[in-house]
Amino acid sequence: MITLTHYLLVSAALFSIGIYVVLSKQNAIQVLIGIEMMLNAAILNLVAFGKFDKINNAGQTFALFAIVLAAASTAVALAIILNVYRRHQTIDPGKINQLKD
Amino acid sequence: MIAATSHIDSPTVTYALAAVGLPLLAAIINLLLPQRLGKLAGWISTGIILLSAVLAAIVFGRVWNHGQLHMQQLWFTIGNTAVNAGILLNNLSVFMLLLVTVIALPVHLYSTAYIKPEEQNRYYTYLSFFCFSMLALVVVDSMIMLYAFWELVGFSSYLLIGFWFTRDSAVQANKKAFIMNRIGDIGLLSAIIILFAQYHTFDLVQLFGPNGLVFKSVIQNGMWIASTGQMPQVWQYVAFAGIFLAVAAKSAQFPLHTWLPDAMEGPTSVSALIHAATMVAAGVFLLGRVYSMFNQAELNVLAIVGCFTAFLAATIALTQNDLKRILAYSTISQLGYMIMAMGINAYASSLFHLATHAFFKCLLFLCAGVIIHEIHHVKEEHQLNIDPQDINNMGGLRKKMPITFVATLIGCLALVGLPFTSGYLSKDGILIQAFEWAEGKPAWYKIIPVSIFITSGVTAFYVARLIFKVFFGEFKLKAMFPNLNLHISDGSWSFRIPLIFLSLCSLFPLFSFNPFSYEHAWLFNGFKPENYLDGESIYHLIIPVSISVLSLLIAFWAFAVYIRQRKLVLSESNLLFKLSYNQWYIDAFYKNVIVKAVLLLSKALYWFDRTIIDGLIQVLQQLTLFLSGLAAWADRYLVDGFLNLITLLVKGIGNFFRGFQSGRVQYYLFSMLAAVLAVFIIKLLI
Amino acid sequence: MITIMFYFMAAIALGSALYVAGSTNLVRSVFMFFITLFALAGLYVLSLADFVAVTQVVVYVGGILVLILFAFMLSGRENLEGVKQQKNRLLSVSKLPAIVLAVAFFIVLTNIFLKARAGNVDWIKQSVVKQNVMTPQNASINGLGVNLMTNYLLPFEAISILLLMALIGAAHLSRKEEAA
Repeated sequence: MITLTHYLLVSAALFSIGIYVVLSKQNAIQVLIGIEMMLNAAILNLVAFGKFDKINNAGQTFALFAIVLAAASTAVALAIILNVYRRHQTIDPGKINQLKD
Repeated sequence: MIAATSHIDSPTVTYALAAVGLPLLAAIINLLLPQRLGKLAGWISTGIILLSAVLAAIVFGRVWNHGQLHMQQLWFTIGNTAVNAGILLNNLSVFMLLLVTVIALPVHLYSTAYIKPEEQNRYYTYLSFFCFSMLALVVVDSMIMLYAFWELVGFSSYLLIGFWFTRDSAVQANKKAFIMNRIGDIGLLSAIIILFAQYHTFDLVQLFGPNGLVFKSVIQNGMWIASTGQMPQVWQYVAFAGIFLAVAAKSAQFPLHTWLPDAMEGPTSVSALIHAATMVAAGVFLLGRVYSMFNQAELNVLAIVGCFTAFLAATIALTQNDLKRILAYSTISQLGYMIMAMGINAYASSLFHLATHAFFKCLLFLCAGVIIHEIHHVKEEHQLNIDPQDINNMGGLRKKMPITFVATLIGCLALVGLPFTSGYLSKDGILIQAFEWAEGKPAWYKIIPVSIFITSGVTAFYVARLIFKVFFGEFKLKAMFPNLNLHISDGSWSFRIPLIFLSLCSLFPLFSFNPFSYEHAWLFNGFKPENYLDGESIYHLIIPVSISVLSLLIAFWAFAVYIRQRKLVLSESNLLFKLSYNQWYIDAFYKNVIVKAVLLLSKALYWFDRTIIDGLIQVLQQLTLFLSGLAAWADRYLVDGFLNLITLLVKGIGNFFRGFQSGRVQYYLFSMLAAVLAVFIIKLLI
Repeated sequence: MITIMFYFMAAIALGSALYVAGSTNLVRSVFMFFITLFALAGLYVLSLADFVAVTQVVVYVGGILVLILFAFMLSGRENLEGVKQQKNRLLSVSKLPAIVLAVAFFIVLTNIFLKARAGNVDWIKQSVVKQNVMTPQNASINGLGVNLMTNYLLPFEAISILLLMALIGAAHLSRKEEAA
């Protein structure tokens, strides 16, 4: 039997991996991917719980909107990364530390 | 107002106050006048003194022999003591009041011509101020006010002696006069304080009046007992010593007489008024006021000192060459007579002699002033290098200055005491009473009358010397400068009128209708004590006759010596001559011993102050600097160090936390997530 | 059957995710991410959310990932050169904190989920009782469409505006600057 908990565990693992990707990569685009991964983990969570709401379809609708939002945010993030590259000639987040004290 | 008298008479008091206060007004006006109105100052002062004289005469008429008039008002209160200020008008007061104004009047008139017009402002300010002080001195009724005006009189004298202050000798003279007067002031103040301590009052009537506290106090068993308290009897003697010092200083008695000859540096009119007639008489006046406090021993002291001073001064006057100095020593001598008279209980005669002496001495000084003035003109006109006051430059002036000669002659006759002059009445009165006093007492008391007798003879000699050297013989100046035309005459009417007036006053009619008997003089009768027996002793006959004859003989002897050029009595190198000429070396002694000692003391104190006291301050200063250095070190290193430590700590912590802002986004995210995780873990664990 | 499918999908998803995490090569990680997304779509289907799965494939995979690919591949040679170089190894000390944190997070989350016993939450039990659960028989898109047009109309419209904004924003942000 696949209970809800299984889905939750998978999502937890995916989320952790996403955290790892965000924190350790030296490429901004890879960081972006990590963020997408975290988002996907959350969406999986939503969908898993959405099974239990036939009337309102709240879970699935929320998941849809989340996907759309992820798309929008990714587009803007890429534009930002482009601008950052133009200015700093690198997309290594570790090297863009102008705001350091 | 508290009136404690026989009868109250407000107008009289008002006149007296006006007579006293008007000269002060004149002084103030003259002070404020600009210099070009100098002559006006002279006339203002003269007019006012005339007014004062008239008022004084009115007061005199009302109060003389009519009892005493005493009005006073509360001045201030200290603790339980109330000090009053007021006026006391008895015979003595109104007598002095009239005397001072009447003598001051010719002197004022004389000064309008004697003093240069541009200096008259200052001169008349001082002179009027002096008149005010002297008049106030004689009418006040409390010892405190007496002391105040005593000092003011001394101060006015100082101002006037140093009138020509550009001359160093004048400045030295007025310093000397003031300092010696101060010694007297100390004495007077001590006496006042002692009297107050004993009797608790300053009032003259309460103290010295007929039923006064002083009169009623006795000395018993070594204690001075009065109705208000008692103290050891030595204090009575100390009080007497104080009064004696004051009298000696003001009236130029031995040992405080050396200022008077030097005071001749002032203008002659000043010498006439102050140092012949009035201020120096203040001492005698003080004796008159406090007379009832003296016991027999003290009176004897007065007599001895007066007698000695008279003799001393007369001998010195024998050899002096400066005209004014001869007259100054003569004044000292005559004052000695007055003091001695006080001492031998001849109170009335003393005051009588004060009055007559005032007139003829003032006259003599004014005549001397005229002569000096004329010779000074000659000196300036021909640019000669002579001393205008040296009698060796004079001679034969009786033809050139007849009025002056006659006036001087009358004054000198009065000074010697020949009949038909006022001087005869007063001086012979003293002589007679001296002999009567020594009667019935141990033999050595006779020294006093005998020495006074001898002094009178000496007086005759130096007076005659003066007359012959100045007015008779050849005019020495002409002999020294034969080709110069030396013009000498009597002077303007401003000089002549005072001389004539004073000469008339020096003759007997002013004082008595009987030219030979002093007891008929109204002045004498005004002061006579109740127990006076009109003299019927043999002395009344012998003494006047003998002294007059002796004086005439001596005058002829002087004539022989100085005019006929007979041998001088003593040559100039003789020891006695030297003693006399150098004023018995008293002045030299004072200068070399006493003055030097005082200067030495002052130097020692100066050294002490600079080295020891300042040294102490230096030590304290160093100590304070050291302590402050210590405090500064502590502040800088301890206090600031502690604060610096704290700031270092804060800086360190701040810098440490600063390091977290690395600017790297992933790192920020990491820390954020770590925090969230920590929260979760804690939540799980709790 | 479903169990096996589930484990299979889950394994693919997690494996490709791990590869994404471990790879230093950008292109490889992007393509692996593709696989992850597909596997997730499969998981969605197993969870009776078929429309979401399809949307995921279409939008996410076909849109976003393609966008990413285009973004860096069409940026020029020199950019590519720059981003391709990765110096660090798989396991290095500098990555340790990230690993630790990720593992810790996983442990915590797992702990929470296991403790929470999601299946026994009240509203889930209620919905079970009320027969609110989706079953394979009546899982249809019909309900979703109706809900979207009635209950969730406002968010629907709002999100379209948001998309427009994002479009304009991204276009503006990435414009070429004229050489001034």
